[in-house]
Amino acid sequence: MIDFVSDLARERGFGPKRIMEVELAAEEALVNILTYAYPKGAGDIEIACKGEGGSRLTFEITDYGAAFNPLSFPVPDLLVELAIRRVGGLGVFFVRQMADRVEYQRKEDANVLTLTFTKRAPRNWENSTHTEGT
Amino acid sequence: MESSVRQIADVTLIGIDGRVDHATAKAFEEVIRPHLDDTGVNPLPKILLDMGGLSFMTSAGLRVLMIAAKTCASQGRDLAVAALQPAIAEIFKISRFDLVLKIHPTVEEGLSSLSLEAATLWEAG
Repeated sequence: MIDFVSDLARERGFGPKRIMEVELAAEEALVNILTYAYPKGAGDIEIACKGEGGSRLTFEITDYGAAFNPLSFPVPDLLVELAIRRVGGLGVFFVRQMADRVEYQRKEDANVLTLTFTKRAPRNWENSTHTEGT
Repeated sequence: MESSVRQIADVTLIGIDGRVDHATAKAFEEVIRPHLDDTGVNPLPKILLDMGGLSFMTSAGLRVLMIAAKTCASQGRDLAVAALQPAIAEIFKISRFDLVLKIHPTVEEGLSSLSLEAATLWEAG
């Protein structure tokens, strides 16, 4: 599944670093589905590439597990000292940081997560991590 | 993922190559964990992770590193990483892992900062 995503990014002419970021977002999104939508084990996950090409890449990831909206997850506090910093919480954070746009919809019995990527990373991370961390 | 371990004076140098993702995070943890034991040696060896060959890292790998960093901090010993490729360095940067452990541009600089003896041995080859 990750290969499907990175192959498409490569075909669209994304650079190596951006392909890695797309891969990272996709992997984190899929792992979250396995963890929260299908906590008891396996289930179906569909991934489709939407749109008609160009410099934009949109993936629609659908599962039929428990309703779960990754966008409702709290943003981890990254600026606290190590002793009190929480382990985990970075998966959804990476999805949001790497994708230009993240949308969630519950459609009947399905979770539909739509991730859109452009060739360039969406924002200046140095600034965004400061604002998101506080 | 592939790994290697070398003891250089009072520094345990652990090399991590390849991908640390959901599928390989467990293997990564199994490489690190034995070195986090309090063996009673005083002081406990410092740990430097040479990540020069690391090509991909997800939150699953960072989770293992975070737990290792917390353990080392509670034991009063240093844990550092070195030689991150630029794309991986950026992952560390946006997740503010510079606040979790020391990040050195090269293995040489990592060793120099941790232990003069280890750095000298490393330089001597």
